[in-house]
Amino acid sequence: MTAHSTKKHGSLLVKDARTQRRNNAELRFRAYGLTAVIVGILALIVLLVSIFSNGISAFQQTKLMITLELPEAKLDQKGQRDLDVMKKVTTIGYSKVLGNGLIDQLDRLGIATDLKDKDVREILSKESAATLRDVVLADPSLIGTTVTMEFLVNGRIDGYFKGRVDRASAELDKNVKPGQLDIADALTEHGLMYTQFNLDFILAPDASDQRPEAAGLGVAILGSIYMMLVVLFVALPVGVAASIYLEEFAPKNRLTDVIEVNISNLAAVPSIVYGILGLAIFINMAQFNQSSPLVGGLVLTLMTLPRIIIPARAALKSVPPSIRDAALGVGASRMQTVFHHVLPLAAPGILTGVIIGLGQALGETAPLLLIGMVAFVREYPAAFTADAGLFGEASTALPVQVFNWTQRADPAFVERASGAIIVLLVFLLIMNALAIFLRRRYERRW
Amino acid sequence: MTDLPIKISARNVDVFYGAIHAIKSVNVEIADKMVTSFIGPSGCGKSTFLRCINRMNDTIDVCRVTGDILIDAEDIYDRRVDPVQLRAKVGMVFQKPNPFPKSIYDNVAYGPKIHGMARNKTDLDEIVEKSLRRAALWDEAKDRLQEPGTGLSGGQQQRLCIARAVATEPEVLLMDEPCSALDPIATAQIEQLIDELRSSYSVVIVTHSMAQASRVSDRTAFFHLGELVEYGDTSHIFTNPSDKRTESYITGRIG
Amino acid sequence: MVSLSFPFGVTLFLAVIGFFAGRAKATSSVNGNFRLLQALPKAYGQTVLFSTLIPASLLLFGWAFVVRILGPDFAVLPDFVFQGLVIAIATIGAGVSYHLIKPSQRARAISERWIMGLLIAASALAIVTTIGIVLSMLSESANFFRQHSWTDFFFGAVWAPNFRGGSELSILPLLWGTLYISLISLIVAVPIGLFAAIYLSEYAGTRLRSVAKPAIEILAGIPTIVYGLFALITVGPMLRDFFAQPLGLGGSSSSVMTAGLVMGVMLIPFVSSLSDDIINAVPQAMRDGSLGLGATKSETIRQVVVPAALPGIVGAVLLAASRAIGETMIVVLGAGAAARFDLNPFEAMTTVTVKIVSQLTGDTDFASPETLVAFALGLSLFVITLGLNIVALVIVRKYREQYE
Repeated sequence: MTAHSTKKHGSLLVKDARTQRRNNAELRFRAYGLTAVIVGILALIVLLVSIFSNGISAFQQTKLMITLELPEAKLDQKGQRDLDVMKKVTTIGYSKVLGNGLIDQLDRLGIATDLKDKDVREILSKESAATLRDVVLADPSLIGTTVTMEFLVNGRIDGYFKGRVDRASAELDKNVKPGQLDIADALTEHGLMYTQFNLDFILAPDASDQRPEAAGLGVAILGSIYMMLVVLFVALPVGVAASIYLEEFAPKNRLTDVIEVNISNLAAVPSIVYGILGLAIFINMAQFNQSSPLVGGLVLTLMTLPRIIIPARAALKSVPPSIRDAALGVGASRMQTVFHHVLPLAAPGILTGVIIGLGQALGETAPLLLIGMVAFVREYPAAFTADAGLFGEASTALPVQVFNWTQRADPAFVERASGAIIVLLVFLLIMNALAIFLRRRYERRW
Repeated sequence: MTDLPIKISARNVDVFYGAIHAIKSVNVEIADKMVTSFIGPSGCGKSTFLRCINRMNDTIDVCRVTGDILIDAEDIYDRRVDPVQLRAKVGMVFQKPNPFPKSIYDNVAYGPKIHGMARNKTDLDEIVEKSLRRAALWDEAKDRLQEPGTGLSGGQQQRLCIARAVATEPEVLLMDEPCSALDPIATAQIEQLIDELRSSYSVVIVTHSMAQASRVSDRTAFFHLGELVEYGDTSHIFTNPSDKRTESYITGRIG
Repeated sequence: MVSLSFPFGVTLFLAVIGFFAGRAKATSSVNGNFRLLQALPKAYGQTVLFSTLIPASLLLFGWAFVVRILGPDFAVLPDFVFQGLVIAIATIGAGVSYHLIKPSQRARAISERWIMGLLIAASALAIVTTIGIVLSMLSESANFFRQHSWTDFFFGAVWAPNFRGGSELSILPLLWGTLYISLISLIVAVPIGLFAAIYLSEYAGTRLRSVAKPAIEILAGIPTIVYGLFALITVGPMLRDFFAQPLGLGGSSSSVMTAGLVMGVMLIPFVSSLSDDIINAVPQAMRDGSLGLGATKSETIRQVVVPAALPGIVGAVLLAASRAIGETMIVVLGAGAAARFDLNPFEAMTTVTVKIVSQLTGDTDFASPETLVAFALGLSLFVITLGLNIVALVIVRKYREQYE
């Protein structure tokens, strides 16, 4: 009865046709998966390369060294060096002095040009007259002397040094003339026009849309820092307190269920909705200053809170119950147990969540547009004034500055916007590195 | 030992998990149409060795197998062997019942479908019915074939897994502690089923229960610390073990 | 205008003094023999601290906020009287709680009750935020619907704001753009995200995984403004020059395709990390069962793992859809501003969020329907995304419970 064997299958050493087909399907499936991964990584690379190749040149700026006289007759006719009188000379007056200084310098160096004087003057940035005026007003004794100073050049000339503008494109562009490029070349040969690291891009305030070469991120960075301080000092304590209550004390009932679902939903509400909330409540009803970091910070706080509470609760949950039992067992109250034992153990996880939440808030743009942070701000906002209160002065923020620059016509602002993104990404990189460091350093596994 | 044809034979099999030497030079010959049980204390390597027989260990990255395992005189670790084809021939039932989240019918039909064993729906219906009958589940399941397999009781789920395994018409059936998650009544049903399965398959069962091994198996292999200590007729192993370690284990002194 | 710094400063000062005084009183009441105290001395100090600080600050900030919202006319008390009131309450709180200190007082329980109150208040803020969102949008939307017919808003076909009056403000063309762009982004993100998650969790070796997983996570950490700029300066012109113009489909660099593609890239990590969690939740026993029957890995994934994970994946896709619908910066910079019904994906179209931004930035007049429509748009956006989120969260939660 047991004589014949159970053999039903063919030899294993021979692959049947069906197995071959199935193996091919397997290979195709793997290829799809690998393609998907590669596409994802490629997208990241293209994105970063695009931003960096456009933006890295924002950290360089072309400058022109000019030796010029500061004639008393033009800048201080009365000769009394009275600041109030001197302030009556506007940048237009300085612009003429500066332009003549440049033309004289070209004559001295023997650089010939058939451009009109007006076109020669336009090699310089519109900002440079204001720069000169500020220097003179700060030190009136310079009047009547000959000074040598660095000035910003026009954005197109700057673009010529960065490869954005060439003679062919200059022919078509009414904002730059090939003759100006010839002068730029000649000045470069004399070592008077050169490109150097652009610290002003990080420190200077924004400039009008006529002068991309002078536009900087100073105000935006300061505004972002103010907002992050508001978010940190409001969202961290409130978020941690809420997660402690919900995780450790809240009774399981309908109300806490509602709160819980509500928090998950708030974390997924589009960020622009928080902007509408901020506009309606803080600006329209409570009449806070538009564009103030306080309002921006509060809006971002509301947006960030659920995004902090969720990881903070997870961190608290990951502390094993045995720790709580041990503390309760030696007679600690529940409150003491939580604050003395559970919270310190959960702290690294909570902090990681907070930093990631802050990073999201730092890059958030849409809600800030609605509360007016897109305004053009030239003055550094003070952290506190009696008038505007804490963080109440108008400001802008890094991501909004990027948006602002994308809306301007001059193509040099593309470089500025991309450069601003590099700064933003550097900040995010630092924050995320900190989060990873904290996680690696203090993470416990039970 | 009787002289039934040899179905599986292992020669100098070693298994490594990374640096851990899990199976040490095991030699064993397993006969066709018999129930062979592997016993031994937990961590002794009996399950690891079982998973070598249908190359389930391939799914673990750090696992490395040396030596030869022959089924019908063909080395299953030969480069030409496709584990997919091998596993159709060597079915497996796991410790915890793991029906797919599909209907009872689809659970059983899954194997035949992927291996292309049915030309049409009638064929498939036939295979499903035959397999469920073999697993002694037909009477309980025939009216609820479209219900999810996860809705069955634990014992029924395990029989469904057996039906699922026999549906691909394997020649060898590996069972990794198939009753450890079941209650005594379900266990008895499975044991009875194993007894019936021996007429058609070469059954290898890993068990931690010596009573079960003695009830269901014709031959028993005792593993200890990765070594095959003793192998022989079940009656012989349990009444007159030749190795001291086997004796200690079956009398309850180790394990 | 209510001044805050002076009364709050005084309150804080009283609270700190009160803490030390309370602690000292507790210590001296038992002559330093702490065992006679019901709690540690600092707990007695805390009861004074909280009783001084919390009621007075609550009054101060609550009243200041109410006055800000209702307007200075509602400041029924002159400012200096109000400041005096706050300081008085702080002083009373300090005095009474200091007076109540005695060794038998259960100081720890009392100060813990104050702390619990603060914790509950913090949790309630989540509810308050939601109510704030809903109320602020409801009231302004109601204003809008008083000035503009709701039938035009919901069922009209034209979006043509006109600040001289007679605007046609229908959400439908905006919704069309929104859904079209979201659809394209999901067509990009779902297969790529899902396949990437499957490949990384089921196939990739540790080396590739250790590079690819963080790389994809970086995509998730990049702010949307960066994607917006990417759409504006790279993807848009590229699509225009290499696809739209050669194919004769239009010459606009902002288009549905531009915004959809870039948004798709943004959603890849979102879909892949959610799917990764969900796929990993499918028990290994399920995979073993299938492999043990001789299924290949891909058969196991396609026929066992993915069907088992399907509810979770559907939830993830819904969450991604809600993200796409609510996304703002990418569409502001990449999609364009023209509200129209069109099928050509290389045509510029606009979305609900773009119009919210354009109607609410710059000088806004809160009396005109052209501004107020933004709140009605916002409310519609909120309702749509809320619906998607709730459905998705319920599905995902049910799915997780199944394998717990």
